Amino acid sequence: MANVSLWNSKRGTASRSVGRVHQLVSHLAWGDAVGNQVRYLRDLLRGWGFDSEIYANEWDEACRDQVRPARDYPRDASSDSALLIHHSFESRLVPLVAKARGRKALLYHNVTPTRFFEGVDRHVAQGCTAAREELRALRDHVSHAWAYSHFSAEELAAAGYRDASVLPFAVDWNAFDVPPDPALRAQVEDGCANILFVGRTVPSKRLEDVLRVFTAYQRLYQPRSRLLVAGTLSNSTPYDASVIALREQLGPERVVFLGRVDASQLSACFASATAYLSMSRHEGFGVPLLEAMYRGVPVVAYGAAAVPETMGGAGLTTLSDDPVEVAGLLAVLERDAALRAQVVAAQRDRLAPLDQQTVARRVHEALTPFLEGRSPVQAKPGPDAATVVCPGFDTAPDAPMSRLARAVVDRMPGARLWTVRRGVMPLQLAPREERREGTPVWHFTPDEPTSPASSDAPASSSLETGVRCATGPVLFAGAEEVARRTAAQVQAHAWGVWEARRAPDAGVRRLLGPRLKELKPDTDVDALARDLARELDAGGRTHAR
Amino acid sequence: MRAEDLISTHPTAEAVAEALRRLPRPEPEKVDALRSRFTATLAPASSAAWPHFLEGARRKRDSRYADAPTSHRPVVGPALVMAKRAFRLAFQPFINEALRRQVEFNESILDALALIYEHQRTQARTQALWRQEVDKQLEQLAAERKKP
Repeated sequence: MANVSLWNSKRGTASRSVGRVHQLVSHLAWGDAVGNQVRYLRDLLRGWGFDSEIYANEWDEACRDQVRPARDYPRDASSDSALLIHHSFESRLVPLVAKARGRKALLYHNVTPTRFFEGVDRHVAQGCTAAREELRALRDHVSHAWAYSHFSAEELAAAGYRDASVLPFAVDWNAFDVPPDPALRAQVEDGCANILFVGRTVPSKRLEDVLRVFTAYQRLYQPRSRLLVAGTLSNSTPYDASVIALREQLGPERVVFLGRVDASQLSACFASATAYLSMSRHEGFGVPLLEAMYRGVPVVAYGAAAVPETMGGAGLTTLSDDPVEVAGLLAVLERDAALRAQVVAAQRDRLAPLDQQTVARRVHEALTPFLEGRSPVQAKPGPDAATVVCPGFDTAPDAPMSRLARAVVDRMPGARLWTVRRGVMPLQLAPREERREGTPVWHFTPDEPTSPASSDAPASSSLETGVRCATGPVLFAGAEEVARRTAAQVQAHAWGVWEARRAPDAGVRRLLGPRLKELKPDTDVDALARDLARELDAGGRTHAR
Repeated sequence: MRAEDLISTHPTAEAVAEALRRLPRPEPEKVDALRSRFTATLAPASSAAWPHFLEGARRKRDSRYADAPTSHRPVVGPALVMAKRAFRLAFQPFINEALRRQVEFNESILDALALIYEHQRTQARTQALWRQEVDKQLEQLAAERKKP
């Protein structure tokens, strides 16, 4: 066993063995997935004989007795302390983490992409952007990093966390065994088919798509149906107001916004549900999907982000967001008893490897190297290779922009081509180099399935994070959206090529200035590739160090 | 829905697609009407840009820093400008602290105004859609009354 000393390291000063393992979280909430996970880990760590406390910046009133102020951590920490940092939103805790003694590790829950909040909630949008900046800043202060899904681990890898791996998400199944609220149950069990959705009303959850699917289901298949939405909804934010307005515009009957519900009311919702429907566009890990499986409710979910991974092949994961088609799946589950039974049985099998003892053992195995002070071998960072970002390469490898991207990479030794994988895989894999006719190509996982009708590549949070963290020269080859979100961070060593039909926005034009080229139909691709390769090579030597 | 658009191991995606084909087909007119309704109610693409009418206020929200000092006086002007600059230079940290709450308030009020603006846009859009729907129904009624 390698005896790695972390003394005087930027990643933390620590003794070989730890006696205290604490956790740091921006906001400790009562009942949300992150809060539940933090409490679970604290109990687990205490069970293993460690002193363990939760430190937070803010907390719900119900959690007051479980938490200590984050500002006290540097004072409480010593060289035999270890800190698990939960990251899911802007925390402003990086300076505190840097100051604190002891070893530190990151637990990444994923951050909702900023694009979902642009023009809807500026504060949250800024917070999401800042959270991704913090993800990059934390890299220098932690020795280990885990994510709760392969989808999130891919982003950690893209952000430069070496040896980032997946920590199993622990679900406290006993917490679901609550008797259903009899009053609510009597109210909703009236012969109607109940479609259930549980979650916060934020744009990424796409409640408007849930309403559309339900409207199609009610109008085309089952008039005696009801939509139950358990989650806070008010009229005070534009998004909530737009959801309520959409309900009025579509006009489905029996749409019930229950607001925040307690455990017994939630139990009643699941007990009376015909199916659980999720159209969410972003999940780091979807606990309500597993909760529905545990309670024997068949799940229909749109396969975005970590949803296919959470579903694990059980339930019905759809790659189409067409409301009429998804409504058909709800109808099949209601009418075909044999198929429904198969789905429920498969969901039960899916949960088998997630029982508490198994998860606790796997968490222990994963955390042991960190707790024992075994630091992963830090590979030396490679040279600042050039990166050509062409999201559409996988979708249309023979398009002029893709040919140009490939020609540039082929002319630069060590350069790589980054693209977005067109297909959704049940289990996302960290991007790694694959050779396509000799060209090194890295495929990143899309945040959402690609629409068959669309020729555009979908967004990929991992790819954008990778670009933000790139230190070598970067060429945006038709990557308008990626450039819009990341050009400010890499402008000193970035170039761009655009086609007239997809002009970059004014901000990117201003940032890149003369380093922005246009690919016209009559452009000589080889000549442009040669010029770009020369500029990238010269610019990389000048700027990227 | 095609089997390729589904991820399901048990039952297989093909079995689910087959079960979907067995469902009674909804009337095409109903499906078309529903699709048109969905298209009409699609929200416009959101923009990260601030509302135009708030741009002026945004530029002035940080009250800690004044415009560059000037003076119209011909002789003592340069001395006054220098004195003003020196005052700013010496007291800027105190000015920052004294006006910190004011800047926070300015930012909060701008956010609130932007929120109200977005809210109002949503409401206006909803009302416009309602009006279109009512007009359409009135036209249908009028057409039916004209029929012999």
